[in-house]
Amino acid sequence: MKLVRAELERLGARRFVQLMIVLLVLAFGATASTTLAGSHRPTAAELVEARTQAAESRRQMDDVYQRCVDRVNGNLPPGAEEEYFPADCGEVDPVRQERLPVATDFLPGVFVFSQQAESLLYFLIAFLVLFGFLVGASYIGADLNSGGVVNLLLWRPRRMTVLGAKLGTLLGGVLGLSLLASVVYLATFWVIGQAAGFPGHLDGAFWRDLGAVHGRGLVLVLLATVLGFALATLGRHTSAALGTAAAYLVVWELGARLVMEIVDATHPERFMLSSHVGAWLSGRVEFWDASACATAAGFCDRVYALTWQPALAVLIGLTGVLAGAAFLVFRRRDLI
Amino acid sequence: MSAVIEIEGLRKTFNSVRNGRRVAVDGFDLTVGAGEVHGFLGPNGSGKTTTLRALLGLVRADGGWMNVLGAPSPTHLSQVAGRVGAIVESPQFFGNFTGYRTLRLLALAGGVPVSRVDEVLAQVGLQDRGDERVKGYSLGMKQRLAVASALLKNPELLILDEPANGLDPAGIREMRDLMRSLADGGVTVLISSHILAEIQLICDHVTIISRGRRVAAGRVDEVLAGFDQHEFLVRVAEPERAAELLRAGGLPVDVHPDHLVVGQVGDPTTISRLLGEQGLWVRELTALRPDLESVFLELTGEGPQPQVPRQVDPGPHDRVIELDAGVGEGRGDDA
Ligand SMILES: Nc1ncnc2c1ncn2[C@@H]1O[C@H](COP(=O)(O)OP(=O)(O)OP(=O)(O)O)[C@@H](O)[C@H]1O
Ligand SMILES: [Mg+2]
Repeated sequence: MKLVRAELERLGARRFVQLMIVLLVLAFGATASTTLAGSHRPTAAELVEARTQAAESRRQMDDVYQRCVDRVNGNLPPGAEEEYFPADCGEVDPVRQERLPVATDFLPGVFVFSQQAESLLYFLIAFLVLFGFLVGASYIGADLNSGGVVNLLLWRPRRMTVLGAKLGTLLGGVLGLSLLASVVYLATFWVIGQAAGFPGHLDGAFWRDLGAVHGRGLVLVLLATVLGFALATLGRHTSAALGTAAAYLVVWELGARLVMEIVDATHPERFMLSSHVGAWLSGRVEFWDASACATAAGFCDRVYALTWQPALAVLIGLTGVLAGAAFLVFRRRDLI
Repeated sequence: MSAVIEIEGLRKTFNSVRNGRRVAVDGFDLTVGAGEVHGFLGPNGSGKTTTLRALLGLVRADGGWMNVLGAPSPTHLSQVAGRVGAIVESPQFFGNFTGYRTLRLLALAGGVPVSRVDEVLAQVGLQDRGDERVKGYSLGMKQRLAVASALLKNPELLILDEPANGLDPAGIREMRDLMRSLADGGVTVLISSHILAEIQLICDHVTIISRGRRVAAGRVDEVLAGFDQHEFLVRVAEPERAAELLRAGGLPVDVHPDHLVVGQVGDPTTISRLLGEQGLWVRELTALRPDLESVFLELTGEGPQPQVPRQVDPGPHDRVIELDAGVGEGRGDDA
């Protein structure tokens, strides 16, 4: 416990952490103020107009569907033949659409909270993932490199306890900061929506969805933090983590992807961490299935999907293995 | 007197891809009794720092066993860590933290009252510079901060690896006074240093290591006595004649331009008697006692040797340069 307190203080005193927090606040301030500047509260007339437009748009969709069905049944009046319709009218069936146009789609220059919240949250999560990785790496990297760990071990010679306390404190700190940041962030934009924009339709389902994205995002932030910490511990230096990440991106995500495309590997995306991150965040990602299409004649839109369960297993597995290796190596290493 | 540090048969080999195997410590023994101020001497690369690192659990020993304050190290080190203050080879600190914060974090982690921080900063003379970044400290100031960190726990056992490194003359004296007052307060001190005069001044016991092995150990006066050749410096008006007389009296004599060195002198009155009887009056008669430096150089084979460039300690097995036969024979123990 004493150790955790000391580590928390060390974490908070690190200039790199402070710098990243300042950056977070700046990015946040910039987004919030530009949003605020570019938004106004819709007038009653604008709202009425938007509702009309939405209703009109929905009516048009019904219309298209109806005509498609009519054409299939051969009931289409002559003269309308030039219009394009899909082979399967189900594709334009309004009932089967993911979402239908709503009034808030027709409010130009108005910040609609319900519509923007999710992408705003993704931006925050992306920042926090970067934050977690960099802080995780530099926190232990600088400490190993500057002899701080050796000094600490002279006081607390239990290596596993010391490293564990460091990782635990780090994760606690990052989680706390992430929670705080997301609450402040969403609350600010919610207030902007209320005061200078339009809140939109905020029902239970909306908050549930947003909460799910948030929860998944936080898991990702923590995984990135552990990853940065483990890589820097293994390499005894902050730059080991940064180098590994950069090398991974260039060599694997870009280079190996190219090679796999050239040699026609089956489903190359499943070997990419980025696909798994995407699958975990959105629940499911689909990729065009080149191998299934290789034998198909003509137009082919076969896809295969990555779902979140195996994606999470991959992400946790990789992070777990690296973290385990870091602890194992640190346990036996000569600290000079 | 119970032993505070016991090391027996410590061995440590470093393996690296680039440099291959390097035996740093090769069956080394060390015993430090409670209340001693124990000097730990050895040439560069002889294994002092490695020994201390192994003792403190920072490097993994390949063999031997170690005990600190009765606890086997490194397995039970954490039981006694709170009572052992240590610095190992110019400790590094995180440059962006102030001296005060550096110590405060250690105090927090170790459960020492934070008020101790100001006390130890004052003890090492850093009270006015505590809130500056360590990055901006001079070498000596960093060294003082390191000593402060070792003192922070009010240790029973203080292990200092070259604490005088980078200190100015006043700093060295302050350090000596500090060691003294700590020793008077009952703290056991193990101190490694290359400043032999300093060690001779403050230490009551000494262990000398060479090429990873112990070559001498014991009370400083006893170690020195073991090397006493019972030599006397004699100044007299007619040195040649005096030399003949003394040789006739059965004493080995070295003639130097302005003095004689007479060996195997049991009783110095023999000299004045032998010369006085022939009307030669002794102007000066001084006992030549060995000092730690000469003993050290003799034991570690580091004495001046013509035409041989001096090497750092080549280690027990992997001698870096084979010395020419004949010239090398004067060197110390060869494993
Ligand atoms: N990390 C390491 N990797 C490889 N060899 C090492 C390492 N640390 C020490 N050695 C070797 O072990 C031997 C003993 O080194 P050590 O640092 O213990 O000497 P020392 O007695 O403290 O010397 P000094 O008086 O210069 O401080 C040297 O030959 C050194 O090169
Ligand atoms: Mg050393």
